[in-house]
Amino acid sequence: MAPQALLSHLHRADGSATYSEKGYTIIGSVNGPVEVQRRDELPEEAAIDVNVRPAAGIGSPNERHLETLIQATLRHVILVQNFPRTLIQVTLQVRSLPEEQSTGNGSAILKSSLMLLPHLLNTALLALLSASIPLSTTLTSTVVMILSSGKLLCSPSSADLVRAQSIQSVHVFAFSAQKSLLLAESQGEFDIDEWDEACELAEDICCKETGVAVDEMDVDGKPENLEGFLRDVVREKVEKEQMWKTAP
Amino acid sequence: MTTTHMIVLPGDTIPASSLPISTNPNKALTLGPGLRHIPPNTIKATISGALTTDVRKNATWIEYNSGRYQPSPSDLVIAIIASSVSESYTCTLTPYAPPTTLPHLSFESATKKTRPVLPLQSLVYARILPFSRYTTPELTCIDPSTGKADGLGPLKGGMVFDISLAMARRLLAGAKGGVMVLEMLAEKLVFEVAVGRNGVIWVEGGNVTVTLKVGMAVQEVDRGGLGVEGQRALVEKVLRGL
Repeated sequence: MAPQALLSHLHRADGSATYSEKGYTIIGSVNGPVEVQRRDELPEEAAIDVNVRPAAGIGSPNERHLETLIQATLRHVILVQNFPRTLIQVTLQVRSLPEEQSTGNGSAILKSSLMLLPHLLNTALLALLSASIPLSTTLTSTVVMILSSGKLLCSPSSADLVRAQSIQSVHVFAFSAQKSLLLAESQGEFDIDEWDEACELAEDICCKETGVAVDEMDVDGKPENLEGFLRDVVREKVEKEQMWKTAP
Repeated sequence: MTTTHMIVLPGDTIPASSLPISTNPNKALTLGPGLRHIPPNTIKATISGALTTDVRKNATWIEYNSGRYQPSPSDLVIAIIASSVSESYTCTLTPYAPPTTLPHLSFESATKKTRPVLPLQSLVYARILPFSRYTTPELTCIDPSTGKADGLGPLKGGMVFDISLAMARRLLAGAKGGVMVLEMLAEKLVFEVAVGRNGVIWVEGGNVTVTLKVGMAVQEVDRGGLGVEGQRALVEKVLRGL
């Protein structure tokens, strides 16, 4: 199923987005630039504060780890130098998880927070676009799994995971629109060749295809291009905003 | 003459074919909100929106309507007085935003003895003075060249209504903005308005009914993205209800 997004639906936040894909639904909101507390203030750039809230209960070290990763990635995407001594606040609330994650069945690797990371990053970017925060580039993120059979699975759905026998490693990649790698997080056992292969696959899915036919790899359920998805979402937003120009 | 070209995402390079071609080669290209120049000659978008160009002014910018108001010099804004320190008021333009200052003496014919004393939470219509991004913006209620108020100053009575940033820009742009609702209402009603670029409109209609009707009509035009015909229908409905 293709990802779905809803922009600027929270009216009290400066920017907001709800992103759902493969059973994950995340609500993101961005407030900024706002006044920053003196102890967090940076003299030359905006401070970025990321809050990840789990679907149930209060945050744990898992969420703190995700926050650190997202904060470090967003710092390179947002033009922080434009707003010295201010704060940009990003809040990501997980609304629903696919079944095998919420019930706790399945292997330990599936329950790891890494599976959530690409969805959080995509939501954060959509919310930033909605808040019109100046960015140097856009960002798309996906997860690639390597099975013990050597097969690659890209952003698998829950049905794919049930069919997959044993997962060897999980890799999360985030790319800018210029195809530069912004984030790479891996878990499990793998060698550098496998990583390279996974990285290449993720790049195809995240970034815009330049017309060259991509080699058909052993991939189950290849989703549509994320860059193209982002463009569609923005086109919809702009058309809504410019409605008055064409209205009778 | 403005034309809308295409929809851009942050990081997109603007192709030379989309930039305005001025008839006067000596006129420099002006980059507006949402664009940045990377030397020597790359122009990139920083926010998502519709790329718009104006050939006569040789200007290009990105039209967007979301997010928080960011102060920029010579904008007209409606500020709320948050506190008063020794020689200036501290004002807020949007909630939780870094504060701006309004000196006690930057009102028309204000001296140390005759300066207006404004209670906290009162509204002022002011202009933003040039500032650097490392300093807090300063406001003024006088035209620096003439020393006259020119309509700026404390706003007494009335109510404020939140509108979108694009709506505020359209209201201040006059006929180009395509907002006729105020003119249409003014044929039958008497009221006063002040539009702040920070997404606020202040309305004073003499009594609460008129104030509310006018303010809510503007909000309705904003939300619905109404054209001229839609606005006329709305005005008729509003006037019938009075």
